[in-house]
Amino acid sequence: MAAFASLGSQTAALIPPGKAHLRETTQDAARSLETFLASVERKAFRIAQIALRHEADALDVVQDAMMQLSSRYATRPAEEWKPLFYRILENRVRDVQRRRSVRNRVMSYLPWRTEDEEAAIDPIEQAVDKAPLPPEQLESDEAMAALEQAIAGLPARQRQAFLLRNFEGLDVAETAASMKCSQGSVKTHYFRAVQALRSKLGDFRT
Amino acid sequence: MSGDPTGEVRSEFEQRARALLLQSSEELSGAVRSRLTQARHAALAARRSRLPAFSFRWVSTGAAAAAVLALLIVYVPYGHSPLENPVAGGGLEDIELLTDNDAVPLNGDQDVDYDFYEWAATEAAGATASAVGS
Repeated sequence: MAAFASLGSQTAALIPPGKAHLRETTQDAARSLETFLASVERKAFRIAQIALRHEADALDVVQDAMMQLSSRYATRPAEEWKPLFYRILENRVRDVQRRRSVRNRVMSYLPWRTEDEEAAIDPIEQAVDKAPLPPEQLESDEAMAALEQAIAGLPARQRQAFLLRNFEGLDVAETAASMKCSQGSVKTHYFRAVQALRSKLGDFRT
Repeated sequence: MSGDPTGEVRSEFEQRARALLLQSSEELSGAVRSRLTQARHAALAARRSRLPAFSFRWVSTGAAAAAVLALLIVYVPYGHSPLENPVAGGGLEDIELLTDNDAVPLNGDQDVDYDFYEWAATEAAGATASAVGS
Protein backbone atom coordinates (compact mmCIF):
# COMPACT_ATOMS: atom_id res chain seq x y z
CA MET A 1 0.00 0.00 0.00
CA ALA A 2 3.03 2.24 -0.20
CA ALA A 3 2.05 3.37 -3.68
CA PHE A 4 -1.34 4.35 -2.39
CA ALA A 5 0.16 6.75 0.13
CA SER A 6 2.00 8.71 -2.54
CA LEU A 7 -0.83 8.38 -5.06
CA GLY A 8 -3.44 9.52 -2.61
CA SER A 9 -1.50 12.51 -1.37
CA GLN A 10 -0.41 13.72 -4.81
CA THR A 11 -3.75 13.19 -6.51
CA ALA A 12 -5.54 14.75 -3.58
CA ALA A 13 -3.28 17.79 -3.88
CA LEU A 14 -5.00 18.59 -7.20
CA ILE A 15 -8.31 19.05 -5.45
CA PRO A 16 -9.19 22.47 -3.95
CA PRO A 17 -9.01 22.72 -0.15
CA GLY A 18 -12.76 23.29 0.23
CA LYS A 19 -13.62 19.97 -1.44
CA ALA A 20 -12.59 17.55 1.29
CA HIS A 21 -15.24 14.99 0.32
CA LEU A 22 -13.77 14.83 -3.22
CA ARG A 23 -10.32 14.27 -1.81
CA GLU A 24 -11.59 11.36 0.29
CA THR A 25 -13.39 9.87 -2.72
CA THR A 26 -10.23 10.09 -4.81
CA GLN A 27 -8.20 8.40 -2.10
CA ASP A 28 -10.80 5.66 -1.76
CA ALA A 29 -10.75 5.06 -5.52
CA ALA A 30 -6.96 4.88 -5.56
CA ARG A 31 -6.97 2.48 -2.63
CA SER A 32 -9.60 0.27 -4.28
CA LEU A 33 -7.65 0.16 -7.52
CA GLU A 34 -4.42 -0.74 -5.78
CA THR A 35 -6.14 -3.46 -3.77
CA PHE A 36 -7.69 -4.86 -6.93
CA LEU A 37 -4.41 -4.88 -8.85
CA ALA A 38 -2.62 -6.53 -5.94
CA SER A 39 -5.31 -9.21 -5.78
CA VAL A 40 -5.05 -10.19 -9.44
CA GLU A 41 -1.40 -9.63 -10.33
CA ARG A 42 -0.03 -13.07 -9.44
CA LYS A 43 -2.77 -15.02 -11.15
CA ALA A 44 -2.62 -12.70 -14.13
CA PHE A 45 1.10 -13.30 -14.38
CA ARG A 46 0.66 -17.08 -14.29
CA ILE A 47 -2.12 -16.91 -16.90
CA ALA A 48 0.11 -14.85 -19.20
CA GLN A 49 3.12 -17.05 -18.51
CA ILE A 50 1.24 -20.24 -19.36
CA ALA A 51 0.00 -18.71 -22.61
CA LEU A 52 3.33 -17.20 -23.64
CA ARG A 53 5.80 -19.63 -22.03
CA HIS A 54 8.08 -16.68 -21.36
CA GLU A 55 8.56 -14.91 -18.05
CA ALA A 56 9.68 -11.48 -19.28
CA ASP A 57 6.94 -11.31 -21.91
CA ALA A 58 4.38 -12.31 -19.29
CA LEU A 59 5.55 -9.54 -16.95
CA ASP A 60 5.36 -6.98 -19.76
CA VAL A 61 1.87 -8.10 -20.67
CA VAL A 62 0.66 -7.85 -17.07
CA GLN A 63 2.17 -4.39 -16.70
CA ASP A 64 0.51 -3.24 -19.95
CA ALA A 65 -2.85 -4.56 -18.78
CA MET A 66 -2.46 -2.81 -15.41
CA MET A 67 -1.54 0.46 -17.15
CA GLN A 68 -4.48 0.21 -19.50
CA LEU A 69 -6.97 -0.54 -16.76
CA SER A 70 -5.58 2.13 -14.49
CA SER A 71 -5.47 4.90 -17.08
CA ARG A 72 -8.62 4.15 -19.05
CA TYR A 73 -11.08 2.16 -17.00
CA ALA A 74 -10.40 3.12 -13.39
CA THR A 75 -13.54 5.27 -13.37
CA ARG A 76 -15.73 2.27 -14.19
CA PRO A 77 -17.53 0.52 -11.32
CA ALA A 78 -15.16 -1.73 -9.38
CA GLU A 79 -17.19 -4.85 -10.13
CA GLU A 80 -16.39 -4.42 -13.84
CA TRP A 81 -12.64 -4.27 -13.30
CA LYS A 82 -11.94 -7.99 -13.21
CA PRO A 83 -13.59 -8.96 -16.53
CA LEU A 84 -12.12 -5.83 -18.13
CA PHE A 85 -8.65 -6.53 -16.82
CA TYR A 86 -8.64 -10.09 -18.09
CA ARG A 87 -9.99 -9.01 -21.45
CA ILE A 88 -7.15 -6.51 -21.78
CA LEU A 89 -4.67 -9.14 -20.63
CA GLU A 90 -5.84 -11.64 -23.24
CA ASN A 91 -5.64 -8.99 -25.95
CA ARG A 92 -2.07 -8.23 -24.98
CA VAL A 93 -1.22 -11.94 -24.95
CA ARG A 94 -2.59 -12.24 -28.48
CA ASP A 95 -0.59 -9.19 -29.59
CA VAL A 96 2.61 -10.80 -28.34
CA GLN A 97 1.76 -14.13 -29.97
CA ARG A 98 0.99 -12.39 -33.27
CA ARG A 99 4.22 -10.39 -33.13
CA ARG A 100 6.17 -13.55 -32.42
CA SER A 101 4.61 -15.40 -35.30
CA VAL A 102 5.41 -12.55 -37.74
CA ARG A 103 8.96 -12.29 -36.41
CA ASN A 104 9.50 -16.03 -36.69
CA ARG A 105 8.20 -15.99 -40.27
CA VAL A 106 10.56 -13.15 -41.21
CA MET A 107 13.52 -14.65 -39.39
CA SER A 108 13.02 -18.01 -41.10
CA TYR A 109 13.92 -16.34 -44.43
CA LEU A 110 17.22 -14.97 -43.20
CA PRO A 111 20.08 -17.13 -44.53
CA TRP A 112 22.57 -16.44 -41.76
CA ARG A 113 20.20 -17.45 -39.00
CA THR A 114 21.23 -20.95 -37.97
CA GLU A 115 19.34 -21.37 -34.72
CA ASP A 116 16.51 -19.82 -32.83
CA GLU A 117 18.03 -16.98 -30.86
CA GLU A 118 15.05 -16.89 -28.55
CA ALA A 119 15.80 -20.42 -27.49
CA ALA A 120 19.45 -19.71 -26.82
CA ILE A 121 20.54 -21.49 -23.67
CA ASP A 122 21.27 -19.33 -20.68
CA PRO A 123 24.11 -21.06 -18.75
CA ILE A 124 23.02 -19.51 -15.45
CA GLU A 125 19.46 -20.75 -15.83
CA GLN A 126 20.72 -24.16 -16.85
CA ALA A 127 23.08 -24.52 -13.89
CA VAL A 128 22.17 -27.54 -11.79
CA ASP A 129 20.93 -26.81 -8.30
CA LYS A 130 22.83 -29.21 -6.04
CA ALA A 131 20.26 -29.09 -3.22
CA PRO A 132 17.87 -32.01 -3.66
CA LEU A 133 14.18 -31.20 -3.80
CA PRO A 134 11.84 -32.93 -1.35
CA PRO A 135 9.93 -35.74 -3.09
CA GLU A 136 6.56 -34.02 -2.65
CA GLN A 137 7.93 -30.81 -4.16
CA LEU A 138 9.38 -32.74 -7.05
CA GLU A 139 6.09 -34.50 -7.73
CA SER A 140 4.22 -31.25 -7.47
CA ASP A 141 6.62 -29.51 -9.83
CA GLU A 142 6.34 -32.33 -12.33
CA ALA A 143 2.56 -32.30 -12.13
CA MET A 144 2.52 -28.53 -12.56
CA ALA A 145 4.85 -28.71 -15.53
CA ALA A 146 2.65 -31.34 -17.16
CA LEU A 147 -0.50 -29.34 -16.46
CA GLU A 148 1.06 -26.13 -17.72
CA GLN A 149 2.18 -27.79 -20.93
CA ALA A 150 -1.25 -29.32 -21.46
CA ILE A 151 -3.02 -26.00 -20.87
CA ALA A 152 -0.64 -24.20 -23.21
CA GLY A 153 -1.51 -26.74 -25.89
CA LEU A 154 -5.23 -25.96 -25.74
CA PRO A 155 -6.89 -23.73 -28.33
CA ALA A 156 -6.83 -20.10 -27.15
CA ARG A 157 -10.52 -19.84 -26.26
CA GLN A 158 -10.49 -23.11 -24.30
CA ARG A 159 -7.33 -22.07 -22.47
CA GLN A 160 -8.89 -18.73 -21.62
CA ALA A 161 -12.15 -20.26 -20.42
CA PHE A 162 -10.35 -22.87 -18.32
CA LEU A 163 -7.96 -20.44 -16.63
CA LEU A 164 -10.57 -17.77 -15.95
CA ARG A 165 -13.16 -20.20 -14.61
CA ASN A 166 -10.98 -22.71 -12.83
CA PHE A 167 -7.93 -20.73 -11.75
CA GLU A 168 -9.16 -17.14 -11.39
CA GLY A 169 -12.57 -18.28 -10.20
CA LEU A 170 -14.68 -15.99 -12.37
CA ASP A 171 -18.31 -17.04 -12.71
CA VAL A 172 -19.84 -17.82 -16.09
CA ALA A 173 -21.20 -14.29 -16.59
CA GLU A 174 -17.88 -12.63 -15.73
CA THR A 175 -15.99 -15.04 -17.95
CA ALA A 176 -18.40 -14.34 -20.81
CA ALA A 177 -17.91 -10.59 -20.33
CA SER A 178 -14.16 -11.06 -20.30
CA MET A 179 -14.14 -13.29 -23.39
CA LYS A 180 -16.77 -11.20 -25.20
CA CYS A 181 -18.92 -14.21 -25.94
CA SER A 182 -22.15 -15.77 -24.69
CA GLN A 183 -22.41 -17.71 -21.44
CA GLY A 184 -23.26 -20.81 -23.47
CA SER A 185 -19.98 -20.49 -25.37
CA VAL A 186 -18.08 -20.18 -22.10
CA LYS A 187 -19.63 -23.42 -20.84
CA THR A 188 -18.82 -25.18 -24.10
CA HIS A 189 -15.19 -23.96 -24.16
CA TYR A 190 -14.70 -24.87 -20.52
CA PHE A 191 -16.20 -28.34 -20.92
CA ARG A 192 -14.04 -29.06 -23.95
CA ALA A 193 -10.94 -27.77 -22.16
CA VAL A 194 -11.53 -30.08 -19.20
CA GLN A 195 -12.12 -33.03 -21.52
CA ALA A 196 -8.95 -32.30 -23.49
CA LEU A 197 -6.84 -31.89 -20.35
CA ARG A 198 -8.22 -35.04 -18.83
CA SER A 199 -7.45 -37.03 -21.94
CA LYS A 200 -3.88 -35.67 -22.01
CA LEU A 201 -3.07 -35.94 -18.33
CA GLY A 202 -5.23 -38.81 -17.21
CA ASP A 203 -5.98 -38.90 -13.50
CA PHE A 204 -2.87 -36.97 -12.54
CA ARG A 205 -1.90 -36.64 -8.88
CA THR A 206 -0.39 -33.69 -7.09
CA MET B 1 -17.58 -34.13 -7.45
CA SER B 2 -17.46 -31.63 -4.60
CA GLY B 3 -17.68 -27.91 -3.94
CA ASP B 4 -14.94 -25.33 -3.67
CA PRO B 5 -14.68 -21.85 -2.10
CA THR B 6 -16.13 -20.18 -5.22
CA GLY B 7 -19.33 -22.18 -4.81
CA GLU B 8 -18.83 -24.13 -8.02
CA VAL B 9 -19.21 -27.88 -8.06
CA ARG B 10 -16.01 -29.27 -9.58
CA SER B 11 -14.66 -32.70 -10.31
CA GLU B 12 -11.57 -33.98 -8.51
CA PHE B 13 -9.57 -33.36 -11.64
CA GLU B 14 -10.62 -29.72 -11.75
CA GLN B 15 -9.92 -29.27 -8.06
CA ARG B 16 -6.44 -30.73 -8.40
CA ALA B 17 -5.69 -28.52 -11.37
CA ARG B 18 -6.92 -25.49 -9.45
CA ALA B 19 -4.85 -26.37 -6.39
CA LEU B 20 -1.72 -26.74 -8.51
CA LEU B 21 -2.28 -23.45 -10.29
CA LEU B 22 -2.95 -21.60 -7.05
CA GLN B 23 0.14 -23.13 -5.48
CA SER B 24 2.26 -22.06 -8.43
CA SER B 25 0.96 -18.49 -8.17
CA GLU B 26 1.81 -18.40 -4.47
CA GLU B 27 5.33 -19.70 -5.05
CA LEU B 28 6.51 -17.06 -7.48
CA SER B 29 10.11 -16.03 -7.11
CA GLY B 30 11.03 -12.87 -5.26
CA ALA B 31 12.23 -11.25 -8.50
CA VAL B 32 8.87 -11.80 -10.18
CA ARG B 33 6.93 -10.58 -7.16
CA SER B 34 9.10 -7.48 -7.06
CA ARG B 35 8.53 -6.83 -10.78
CA LEU B 36 4.77 -7.21 -10.30
CA THR B 37 4.80 -4.72 -7.44
CA GLN B 38 6.79 -2.28 -9.56
CA ALA B 39 4.33 -2.76 -12.42
CA ARG B 40 1.42 -2.03 -10.10
CA HIS B 41 3.04 1.12 -8.78
CA ALA B 42 3.89 2.24 -12.30
CA ALA B 43 0.26 1.75 -13.37
CA LEU B 44 -1.02 3.78 -10.43
CA ALA B 45 1.58 6.49 -11.05
CA ALA B 46 0.61 6.63 -14.73
CA ARG B 47 -2.99 7.22 -13.74
CA ARG B 48 -1.94 9.95 -11.34
CA SER B 49 0.14 11.74 -13.97
CA ARG B 50 -2.62 11.43 -16.55
CA LEU B 51 -5.29 13.05 -14.41
CA PRO B 52 -4.32 16.76 -14.79
CA ALA B 53 -2.86 16.34 -18.27
CA PHE B 54 -6.01 14.64 -19.43
CA SER B 55 -8.38 17.35 -18.23
CA PHE B 56 -6.16 20.19 -19.45
CA ARG B 57 -5.84 18.63 -22.87
CA TRP B 58 -9.59 18.33 -23.28
CA VAL B 59 -10.25 21.83 -22.00
CA SER B 60 -7.72 23.35 -24.39
CA THR B 61 -8.96 21.23 -27.31
CA GLY B 62 -12.53 22.25 -26.58
CA ALA B 63 -11.62 25.93 -26.38
CA ALA B 64 -9.75 25.80 -29.69
CA ALA B 65 -12.64 24.03 -31.39
CA ALA B 66 -15.12 26.58 -30.03
CA ALA B 67 -12.97 29.47 -31.30
CA VAL B 68 -12.72 27.97 -34.80
CA LEU B 69 -16.46 27.35 -34.84
CA ALA B 70 -17.18 30.94 -33.80
CA LEU B 71 -14.91 32.28 -36.55
CA LEU B 72 -16.65 30.12 -39.12
CA ILE B 73 -20.09 31.27 -38.01
CA VAL B 74 -19.11 34.98 -38.04
CA TYR B 75 -17.12 35.14 -41.24
CA VAL B 76 -18.49 32.49 -43.54
CA PRO B 77 -22.08 32.99 -44.82
CA TYR B 78 -24.11 29.87 -45.39
CA GLY B 79 -23.24 28.08 -48.58
CA HIS B 80 -20.69 30.62 -49.84
CA SER B 81 -17.07 31.32 -49.24
CA PRO B 82 -15.97 35.01 -49.11
CA LEU B 83 -14.67 34.82 -52.69
CA GLU B 84 -18.06 33.69 -53.99
CA ASN B 85 -20.05 36.37 -52.16
CA PRO B 86 -21.50 38.70 -54.84
CA VAL B 87 -21.95 41.57 -52.36
CA ALA B 88 -18.37 41.38 -51.15
CA GLY B 89 -17.06 40.98 -54.71
CA GLY B 90 -18.89 44.10 -56.04
CA GLY B 91 -17.28 46.61 -53.69
CA LEU B 92 -15.34 48.48 -56.36
CA GLU B 93 -18.39 48.90 -58.61
CA ASP B 94 -20.39 50.40 -55.73
CA ILE B 95 -17.68 52.94 -55.01
CA GLU B 96 -17.62 53.96 -58.69
CA LEU B 97 -21.38 54.46 -58.76
CA LEU B 98 -21.33 56.60 -55.64
CA THR B 99 -18.48 58.81 -56.74
CA ASP B 100 -19.60 59.31 -60.36
CA ASN B 101 -21.09 62.83 -60.83
CA ASP B 102 -23.13 61.67 -63.80
CA ALA B 103 -24.66 58.74 -62.05
CA VAL B 104 -28.28 58.51 -61.03
CA PRO B 105 -28.59 59.80 -57.46
CA LEU B 106 -28.84 56.85 -55.10
CA ASN B 107 -29.12 58.69 -51.84
CA GLY B 108 -32.88 59.32 -51.74
CA ASP B 109 -34.40 62.77 -52.52
CA GLN B 110 -31.77 64.99 -50.88
CA ASP B 111 -30.45 66.24 -54.22
CA VAL B 112 -33.83 66.68 -55.96
CA ASP B 113 -34.25 70.22 -57.29
CA TYR B 114 -37.85 70.94 -56.28
CA ASP B 115 -37.65 74.57 -57.49
CA PHE B 116 -36.94 73.35 -60.98
CA TYR B 117 -39.91 71.02 -60.99
CA GLU B 118 -42.22 73.76 -59.63
CA TRP B 119 -41.04 76.22 -62.31
CA ALA B 120 -41.45 73.56 -65.03
CA ALA B 121 -44.96 72.81 -63.82
CA THR B 122 -45.89 76.52 -63.75
CA GLU B 123 -44.47 77.01 -67.21
CA ALA B 124 -46.36 74.06 -68.52
CA ALA B 125 -49.60 75.29 -66.94
CA GLY B 126 -49.09 78.83 -68.40
CA ALA B 127 -48.37 77.46 -71.84
CA THR B 128 -51.52 75.37 -71.75
CA ALA B 129 -53.63 78.38 -70.64
CA SER B 130 -52.28 80.64 -73.41
CA ALA B 131 -52.87 77.97 -75.98
CA VAL B 132 -56.51 77.60 -74.87
CA GLY B 133 -57.00 81.41 -74.82
CA SER B 134 -55.66 81.84 -78.34
